[in-house]
Amino acid sequence: MARPLHSPLITLGARLFFVTLLVACLLAGLTGGLVRAGVPLPAGMAGAWLGPAVQAHAFLMICVFLGTVIGIERAVAARVRWAFAAPLAAALAGLATLAGRPPLAAQLGVLAALAFVAVNVLLVRRQSAPHTRLLLLGALAWLVGNLGYAASGSPHATVPWWFAFLVLTIAAERLEMTRLMRRRPGAASALGVALAALLAGCALFAVSPVWGGTLYGAALVALALWLIAFDIARRTLAAAGLSRYMAVCLLLGYFWLALAGVAWCATAWGLPLMDAAIHALALGFVFSMLLAHAPVILPALTRIKVAFGWPWYGPLALLHGSLALRLLLRHTDLDFALAAGAAGNALAILLFAATLAGSALVWRRTHPPRTTPS
Amino acid sequence: MNTELPYPYAGPEALRAPIEAALQTVVDPEVALSIVDVGLVYGVEVSDERLHVLVTMTSAACPVTELILEDIEQALDGVAPRGMAIAVELVWTPPWSTDRMSARAKDFMGW
Repeated sequence: MARPLHSPLITLGARLFFVTLLVACLLAGLTGGLVRAGVPLPAGMAGAWLGPAVQAHAFLMICVFLGTVIGIERAVAARVRWAFAAPLAAALAGLATLAGRPPLAAQLGVLAALAFVAVNVLLVRRQSAPHTRLLLLGALAWLVGNLGYAASGSPHATVPWWFAFLVLTIAAERLEMTRLMRRRPGAASALGVALAALLAGCALFAVSPVWGGTLYGAALVALALWLIAFDIARRTLAAAGLSRYMAVCLLLGYFWLALAGVAWCATAWGLPLMDAAIHALALGFVFSMLLAHAPVILPALTRIKVAFGWPWYGPLALLHGSLALRLLLRHTDLDFALAAGAAGNALAILLFAATLAGSALVWRRTHPPRTTPS
Repeated sequence: MNTELPYPYAGPEALRAPIEAALQTVVDPEVALSIVDVGLVYGVEVSDERLHVLVTMTSAACPVTELILEDIEQALDGVAPRGMAIAVELVWTPPWSTDRMSARAKDFMGW
C-alpha cells in the first residue's frame, strides 16, 4: 500500500544515516580513483580503508554510491517504506567494502539489487509502460552484475553489466521525456535494437571480449545518436535558467556517451583506451546526468530546496574540461594529463557538492519560513 | 463557459482565472513547461469549503511527484479564499497522453 502524500517515508535520522554513508563512500571511492590515476595523496590520509577503496573503486562508485542514490530515488517514487531496503543494502555494502570485507559487500550488493528488482516490479504493476519496463530491465542488469561479482570477486566481467544498469536507467528516464516529442516512425524500434545490442554485448563480453566489447561500444554510440535525435534536450536548450542548464548537461553527456562507445570498440580491438571507455561513460555521461538532475531530484529526496544560479555551470565546466584533459591529452607527451585530469574530475564532484550546499543556503535566505495560517 | 480551459472546471466563475493562473506557475523544470501546458491537470472542482484538483504525472517512477504536488498546493494557497481546504489528488486513470498537451507545449516541442 502506498503511503499517503506528504507523510514522510523515512525519519530524519534515517535520512542523516543515508547522507553520512553516501558522503563517506563517495569520498572513499573518489580517493580510490585518485590513487589509481597516480595522484599523490597528502600524508596522513592513508588508513586501513584505503586499500579496499582503491581495489573496489568501481564497486564503490557504481554499486554503492550510484546504487544508493538511484535506490533512494526509486523508493521515493514508489512511496513504500520497504523499497528503502535496496539503498540500505547498497550503502551497507559500502561500509563492508571499507571494512575490508569484500565477500560480505558483494552479498549485500546482490541483496540490494534483488530488493531493487522488487521495487521496479511494483512500479511496472502500477504503470506498465515502455519506460517502467526499461527501468526494470536496468535493475535486472544490476542484479546480473552483482551476482557475477559475488561469484567471481572480480569486477572485470561485471563492469559492462554495472554500466548497463546505469545506461538503461538513464535511457528509461529519457524515454519518458521523449514522449513529449512527436514520435518518429521507427524511433521506438531503433531504441529497442540499441538496448538489445547493449545487453547482448554484456553477455558476449564474458566469452569474447573482442566481439562483446565491439557490440557494447556500437550500442553506446547508437544510443547516443538516438538521444541526440529524440530527446527533449535540444528543445529545452532554448529555454532559460534551470531548464537550459539541464539541457546543456544532457547534450554534453550524449557527446561523451558516443565517445565512450568508440573507445569501448577501440579497446576491444587492443587499443589502450580502457580509461577513456570507462570514464567517458562514468564521468562524461553518467555524472553529467547526475549534475543535470540533482537540482530537481535533491529537493525531492531530502526535502531541502536549492536555488538555481550561474554558479551551477562551474562544476559542469570543470568536470568536462578535466575529463577532456584526462582522456584526450593523456596519449600525448603530457605525462601529467591523467593525474591532473583525475584530480580535476574529483574536484568537480566536490565543487558540485559545495554548490548544492551553497544553493540550499541561498534558498533558505531568500525563502524565509512562512507562518502558515491555521 | 466563457473561457476554454484544458480541463473541466466546476465552481464559481470568479475563481476560474486565478486558479488557472496559479496552476500555470507550477512548472516542471525538466521540460520547461507548466503542468497545465503538459496536460497534467485533469479537473478542478470548487465547493464552498473545498478546492479539489485532480492531477496526473507522466510517469509512476517519477521521484519529483510529491514536490510538484506540494508546489500545486502552495500555488493554490495563494488564490483560494481564506479557510478553504485545498485537496490535490493524484490519479493514474486515464493515463496521460500527448493528446493532452496544449498547442503552446506542442509548438515548443517541435510538433
